[in-house]
Amino acid sequence: MKLAPVDYLILAIYFGFVLGIGWRLRKSVASSGDFLTSGRSVPVWITSLAFLAANLGAQEVIGMSASGAKYGIMTAHFYWIGAVPAMIFVGLFMMPFYYGSRARSVPEYLKLRFDEKTRGLNAITFALMTVFSSGISMYALGLLLQLVLGWSFTRSVLLSAAIVLVYTFLGGLTSAIYNEVLQFFLIVLGFAPLSIVAVMRAGGWSGMEARLPPVMTHGWKYMASSSQNPMGVEIFGLVAGLGFVLSFGYWCTDFLVVQRAMAADSMSAARRTPILAAFPKMIMPFVVILPGIAALALARMHVGYALPPKGDSFDYDQALTTLMAHFYPSGMLGVGLTALMASFMSGMAGNITAFNTVFTYDIYQSYIRKGAPDHHYLTVGRVTTVAGTALSVMTAYLAQHFNNIMDFLQLVFGFVNAPLFATFLLGMFWRRTTGHAAFTGLLAGTTAAALTHGLTVAERKGGWIATVHDFPSTMAQNFWIAIFAWTTCLVITILVSVITKPRPVGELQGLVYGLTKVPRETGVTWYRRPAPVAALVIAAVVFLNIWFR
Amino acid sequence: MVDLRTTSGSFFVALGVILLLLGVFSPGLRASLTEVNINLYCGIAMLAFGGVMLLWARTRS
Repeated sequence: MKLAPVDYLILAIYFGFVLGIGWRLRKSVASSGDFLTSGRSVPVWITSLAFLAANLGAQEVIGMSASGAKYGIMTAHFYWIGAVPAMIFVGLFMMPFYYGSRARSVPEYLKLRFDEKTRGLNAITFALMTVFSSGISMYALGLLLQLVLGWSFTRSVLLSAAIVLVYTFLGGLTSAIYNEVLQFFLIVLGFAPLSIVAVMRAGGWSGMEARLPPVMTHGWKYMASSSQNPMGVEIFGLVAGLGFVLSFGYWCTDFLVVQRAMAADSMSAARRTPILAAFPKMIMPFVVILPGIAALALARMHVGYALPPKGDSFDYDQALTTLMAHFYPSGMLGVGLTALMASFMSGMAGNITAFNTVFTYDIYQSYIRKGAPDHHYLTVGRVTTVAGTALSVMTAYLAQHFNNIMDFLQLVFGFVNAPLFATFLLGMFWRRTTGHAAFTGLLAGTTAAALTHGLTVAERKGGWIATVHDFPSTMAQNFWIAIFAWTTCLVITILVSVITKPRPVGELQGLVYGLTKVPRETGVTWYRRPAPVAALVIAAVVFLNIWFR
Repeated sequence: MVDLRTTSGSFFVALGVILLLLGVFSPGLRASLTEVNINLYCGIAMLAFGGVMLLWARTRS
């Protein structure tokens, strides 16, 4: 792939705009709250697009088109069964507690609801995880740009990290959120045309259906047993593991996304943030997954397109970039590449802004220095932004040299995350849940996850204790690990709650269902109320699932 | 404060103008598999999107 001067011009204009947004927002930062939580002042259309974009990193864009080529339209389950129902749930049922408690972060909510140790556990693992995953995605981007454009790994990693650092350092969370919206528009306008022309060239949807095995163009038909579909997943594992435990765990408890909703300017706006974000979210498969399926169809048409080989299979991660090279001339090629950079930056800025908030408020202010004047924490927030970026860059280099350690860390973080949703569910909806119970439940859930991994094998992975069960794919194994971890955490938390001393009801106001006033919204137009909009989202997503069954 | 509608509006108008000029003055610019003047169509789409954002900013302020 060769870039022309005009492509570099487009990239330069984009860099100019993102830096310009940071520069113009620098004066709006006067306190640590402005810098780390946007002072709860952002309009709802902006928070909801940022809610989506912060998750839409380069790994998501590249990975989803890769999965499209590998698994077909089934990949859309990550959106239509995974993300969307969870986004509705967090908006309707959990946001009243997050926003209403006036907690500044998800770990801080755990402190208010449970106790210090539960917050500490969540804050520390979350902080490590965000820095780590931003480093991993930086590594993925550097590798891809090296591969397709011949850019130096060091130069592309350092340049993109420096730009994200400058605009988040200047304007804090507001700057990250504003840029995420611009990046979201660019991702859609940059990749949607590729999806359209690639699908058209492959003969439209019916042409792809004719050229590919039927399992690639049906979402549900081959889900009854794991041997029928390339994902190796059966319907219960899919719905319970992905649809419930993993997706609800991510969208409802991960501070990276929840932070965007918490920056909204009112309770109603905070609740509508994830619900409104669900509309573009359910359209995303057409932008990121369809090109992957089209790539597979085109590769079978002898038109001069082939998926790059890797071992005895294909390098699916290159599906999107090879399509760009074959369909985009200079001009749009620059836009497509800039969109890829934009997706990387929105993901990285999401990680960095979540990291600096959790570090400053939940680790520094709680354990290192309490009760300092606010400007001190603003400085700490700024320094953490720089440190977090530096740590990400270091992780990217580590990933380049020690791939195995990265896989291992990713696995361990998965164990820690899997049980989280059980803790939040009990904490928010059962007032009897105690702090000791939450903490023990989380540890037990993580242990259960590790044990499940140690006792089962999938694609020669796991089974380091013994082999009790053999999964057809690592995806199935992950779903079942999540199911076991969640169930263990739920049961242990309930049991320990019953034998430990409950907190007095007076201390739980605003934190638990039944003790929190959910604002009655009478006299507001229906489309400005969370529940009717949520109903519309559910109808649309049910329709999509049936259409692509 | 920054009005994001103006900012993103101007960004996409700029991109749209560049692509439109490319599409008009070098209509033969094609990648190996495209059959249409993709720069022209995408340029028009981005100009329209940017224009709508700018209009929205003007009507609300």
